[in-house]
Amino acid sequence: MDAELAEERVLQAEIAAVRRACENPPAPWEEKSRVQKSFQAIHQFTSEGWKSSKDLKNQLGHLESELSFLSTLTGINIRNYSRQTEDLTSTEMAEKSIRKVLQRHRLSGNCHMVTFQLEFQILEIQNKERLSSAVTDLNIIMEPTECSELSEFVSRNFGRARWLTPIIPAFWEADAGRSQEDRKDLFMFFRSLHFFVEWFEYRKRTFKHFKEKYPDAVYLSEGPSSCSMGIRSASRPGFELVIVWRIQIDEDGKVFPKLDLLTKVPQRALELDKNRAIEAAPLSFRTLLGVLGIEAALESLIKSLCAEENN
Amino acid sequence: MAGILAPGLGVLAHLERLENQTSRSRKRSEAQAQERVLGTKIQKLRHLRDDPRAALWHRRGSVKACIANVEPNRTVEVNEQEALEEKLENVKAILQAYHFTGLSGKLTSRGVCVCINTAFEGNLLDSYFVDLVIQKPLRIHHHSVPVFIPLEEIAAKYLQTNIQHFLFSLCEYLNAYSGRKYQADRLQSDFAALLTGPLQRNPLCNLLSFTYKLDPGGQSFPFCARLLYKDLTATLPTDVTVTCQGGEALSTSWEEQRASHETLFCTKPLHQVFASFARREKLEMSLVS
Repeated sequence: MDAELAEERVLQAEIAAVRRACENPPAPWEEKSRVQKSFQAIHQFTSEGWKSSKDLKNQLGHLESELSFLSTLTGINIRNYSRQTEDLTSTEMAEKSIRKVLQRHRLSGNCHMVTFQLEFQILEIQNKERLSSAVTDLNIIMEPTECSELSEFVSRNFGRARWLTPIIPAFWEADAGRSQEDRKDLFMFFRSLHFFVEWFEYRKRTFKHFKEKYPDAVYLSEGPSSCSMGIRSASRPGFELVIVWRIQIDEDGKVFPKLDLLTKVPQRALELDKNRAIEAAPLSFRTLLGVLGIEAALESLIKSLCAEENN
Repeated sequence: MAGILAPGLGVLAHLERLENQTSRSRKRSEAQAQERVLGTKIQKLRHLRDDPRAALWHRRGSVKACIANVEPNRTVEVNEQEALEEKLENVKAILQAYHFTGLSGKLTSRGVCVCINTAFEGNLLDSYFVDLVIQKPLRIHHHSVPVFIPLEEIAAKYLQTNIQHFLFSLCEYLNAYSGRKYQADRLQSDFAALLTGPLQRNPLCNLLSFTYKLDPGGQSFPFCARLLYKDLTATLPTDVTVTCQGGEALSTSWEEQRASHETLFCTKPLHQVFASFARREKLEMSLVS
């Protein structure tokens, strides 16, 4: 009985609550208006929203095509980029209307088979007359590749490239005392990178071409990307000519090829060689290069060793 | 019947018992009736509560269902839009980042406008542009490259066959020119005290001529330097001649100095050489005083 009385009381309370809920239309009305609002929003979306999203898509498509065009134009493909800006203007500087801003950039990408990652800082100082920007720090991280010459260049000139591990950045002491080795030449890196890759690809193509043209005579011990090509002749075993083609990068970022000829001849041939032609071969090769150019010089070398086979 | 056996007491007791019985049964039936009434009341109340509640819930449910139907679409679209915007920002940023390679460009109606940025020793200097028309053959519509840079030569060699080479080659020339100009400008502005005469230079900044003294106001003879930069893609001179004015009676120490200066000018940028002169001078002054 008590239980039932209790239940009766509870029920009464619940009924009251339900009645109140029914009487306060705001609750369901609110939600309905919310629904209306969403519909409105969607409608707006539909009219200008579809337009803006299509706009966005168009814009994105246009920019992406511009990006791929730029990448083809320069040969450099930037995949990631981020930057942080820090305002270093102190109050005294602000009074003299001088603004100092430090920007930290990070970008990564590839140029053909070379992947790079750069972190650099640019300090911008704006005073009344002009704006000066300077690269104050440059770190280059490159993945180990077959291009040892490139990695040497980067570590020599930018002092600090290392395999995949970011390095402690060197700090640029303002003005005097800055050593020549502390290069912050960002653009030079990219220029040299481009020319290096150009030579690399050219060397690869040339080696491949000769391998295909003279499959028996030419052998590439480390594949077409290596820096040496060997010439053998089946009819003259024991004789071998090895052409070493290095791509060197000097301190100013200039890229130039350096070719050398190595000869391997049997002892008897050396004894018979009265004119010392074999000793002079490397030097003659250099002259030949100067006269004929790389491809023609290589071709003539191959032909000279394998003269009998070609007949 | 027991009452007859116990007269008086028994009858009263019996009557009491009977009364109790009746009242109990009455109470019981009352209670039962009450219960029944309560029961039905509760049932009614329950109905009273449940029906409108159900209706309310139904209404709420349908509204919620509406909103639920509406909102996922909306959130999906919002997400899509946000993703698109993010991607757009990303692509814009990467396009901007190309400036740091030294070469960047913008598509135009005719072709592309390539912007070449120059820098020297980390200092970002002038930019130049070349507007290319993409047609067969490729041609340069207009450009801001100075007249003394051999643009036509480079274009004749590479523009049609290897546009990348053309662009990077042009970059080399422009960067070298910017670098030489920067060195000459710095010499004129920062080290005017050490110069005894005006700095003579040509527009290409590959021929510089000036006279300088290590100790301005001192008794030493001024040196006369002539720097020739034959390689237009280099920022260091190829030919340097340093002579001493008042050429007679050159002691060995002056001769040594002259020779060392020649080497210095060949290996270090101009303004750095003068900075080292200035430092040496300061050091000597501090030692003397």
